[in-house]
Amino acid sequence: MTNSEPKKEELKKTTGEVTLPVHETPRGNVLVVAEHILGDLQPVTLELLGAATLLAGKLGTRVLSVVCGFELGDIPQRLVAHGADVVYVAEHHELERYRTLPYRRVIVDLLESLPEPPHVMLLGSTTTGRDLAPRIAAHFETGLTADCTELDIGPYEHKNKMDPSKLGLYPDCLYAIRPSFGESLKARILGPWKNPQMATTRPGVMIPLKADPNRKGEIIRIPVNLKPEDHRLEVERIVREVASGLKLTEADVIVAGGYGINTADGFNLLRQLAECFENSAIGASRKVVDLGWIPYEHQVGQTGKTVRPKLYIACGISGAIQHRVGMSKSGLIIAINKDPDAPIFKFAHYGIVGDLYQIVPELIKQFKQVRKEQGVESVVHSH
Amino acid sequence: MPGPYDIFVLIKQVPDQSSKAGINPDGTIDRAKAKRMLNPFDRYALQAALHTKKSYGGTVTAISMGPPNAVEVLLEALEHGVDKGVLLSDRRLAASDTLATAYALHKVVHWVGKFDLIFCGLQTTDGDTAQVGPQLAERLNLPQVTYCEDFSIVDSPVKEGENPRPACARRIIEGGLQHVRSELPLLVTVANSYHQLEYKSFRGAWKVRRLQRNPEELKQYITTVDLDLIQALPERCGLKGSPTIVAHTDKVGEIGGSCKMIEGLSPSDMVRDLLKQTNVKEFAKS
Repeated sequence: MTNSEPKKEELKKTTGEVTLPVHETPRGNVLVVAEHILGDLQPVTLELLGAATLLAGKLGTRVLSVVCGFELGDIPQRLVAHGADVVYVAEHHELERYRTLPYRRVIVDLLESLPEPPHVMLLGSTTTGRDLAPRIAAHFETGLTADCTELDIGPYEHKNKMDPSKLGLYPDCLYAIRPSFGESLKARILGPWKNPQMATTRPGVMIPLKADPNRKGEIIRIPVNLKPEDHRLEVERIVREVASGLKLTEADVIVAGGYGINTADGFNLLRQLAECFENSAIGASRKVVDLGWIPYEHQVGQTGKTVRPKLYIACGISGAIQHRVGMSKSGLIIAINKDPDAPIFKFAHYGIVGDLYQIVPELIKQFKQVRKEQGVESVVHSH
Repeated sequence: MPGPYDIFVLIKQVPDQSSKAGINPDGTIDRAKAKRMLNPFDRYALQAALHTKKSYGGTVTAISMGPPNAVEVLLEALEHGVDKGVLLSDRRLAASDTLATAYALHKVVHWVGKFDLIFCGLQTTDGDTAQVGPQLAERLNLPQVTYCEDFSIVDSPVKEGENPRPACARRIIEGGLQHVRSELPLLVTVANSYHQLEYKSFRGAWKVRRLQRNPEELKQYITTVDLDLIQALPERCGLKGSPTIVAHTDKVGEIGGSCKMIEGLSPSDMVRDLLKQTNVKEFAKS
């Protein structure tokens, strides 16, 4: 890759009492690494193309995408329809299933073949994106921000004199914004000193463009030159999740439990409540997943899933920012918590302060009553 | 029977976020005052390392980077049965981002010596990035298994012209699981769906108590190193070696802020009121 040190033009700009050099970098393109599982294009890729279109619009540059796989069919055209101006396609039978090293090789080779590195490079915060992005960032020794909830382009003045080579005004930085450690902070993370400026974003956060089948784009086949060391790991098989209950991200109703349920058995009560609804699923806060009360696939929030059910019932969940970013777009949020000061009461639509072990059984009881009144025959559950 | 193996496990001390101590009113953390704990994800990495040693033989070395206090997590690891610990502690590491951290860690890994396996937690609870493991693997030019929830080593028949792939792992992917086989050495990041860490052994706990009273003997088990000793370049560590910075933090605006509180004398009153005011009933099973 060409050295992407910003060209330091000797323009000076007075900023208060400090005079900072202005680093006018050429504005590069925005690259999206497309993701699919065995040819099944992942929604996060379309969301990233939507975000990339906004960023490239601000930079006045183009949206690039790269896709690796085998027999990709209409995927390159679909990437164009959703906003890519150029799609680099690497097709090889060794790329059929995602593996870190072969995918890393293809993308590193592609970036090194470009005359200028992309300005911004985006991947999904999926098990694939979070596996691949750090390797590429480490290879190019460039910055990477994980699990962003917002992206933007804007200026930045670096005044910290600890490293004089970094001082200056950078007009077109990627603003990678993510909820940060602590309860209520959002951090804006920047790395304007080197391109590509990389970020991953959570599925379900960015908004995809409407597909335009008439949109024109360039589709470029790129070479696949794998080395023997890229085959140190092989995929034996992929097992699709057995449909044990509805997928969290597709549920209309989520009943979620947090530390306030006190014991792993508390989820039995929440399951009884979930049983009352159509298309329901069980969610959980990170704390209880860390404690081993319920498996990881139920986790909602920054390091779990982003969900948008029509109804979200939060039981004993305090509502830390990490949880909130995963569920705040739910249609109707009802919170039940003992602590009247719990942050969840700041963004739930309806709140009940009380013991969930009194409220939830009452909720189940009144539900069953409603159904009886409606003449619906109760299915007998032997709880 | 395969083995024995030289196993490294990377662990980190993090602030305990469930404790109110050290949480500033603006939501930032005062690390000096906060309660400290072993990163919860690292408990699974420790279990994977110890289980591998138990099954196939070898040694487990726990490696950590952090302020001098971080020796506490190495002692905890000793209680659980690791053989020795190495702490990389140096003020010049302050404000390292994930890339600078991975650089320093790869230097300390080289300093400690030969290894077959490196286990890390999937991510930390104070950074949540899951980047350091793969970035370290890149620096060490290793294959990697991230989101690992099951790991074993098997005798593998060697195909003509290929190296054996004795490591057998199951990793989580979207909507399913991936079974992989890999050559060694290998770096594995362990998900929290792996087996829970077993309790400390009496022998381990007793040993650590003894070591805490005998600083000289402790040095045989826990070594503290700095950047000079591991020959890491200071300009590639800390703030200087980090390509990213936190430029700005915002208080998260209070969205909505219009939560309607349901009040009532009894749970049944409150629930009745809730069902009256909302359309919850529309979602009921018919």
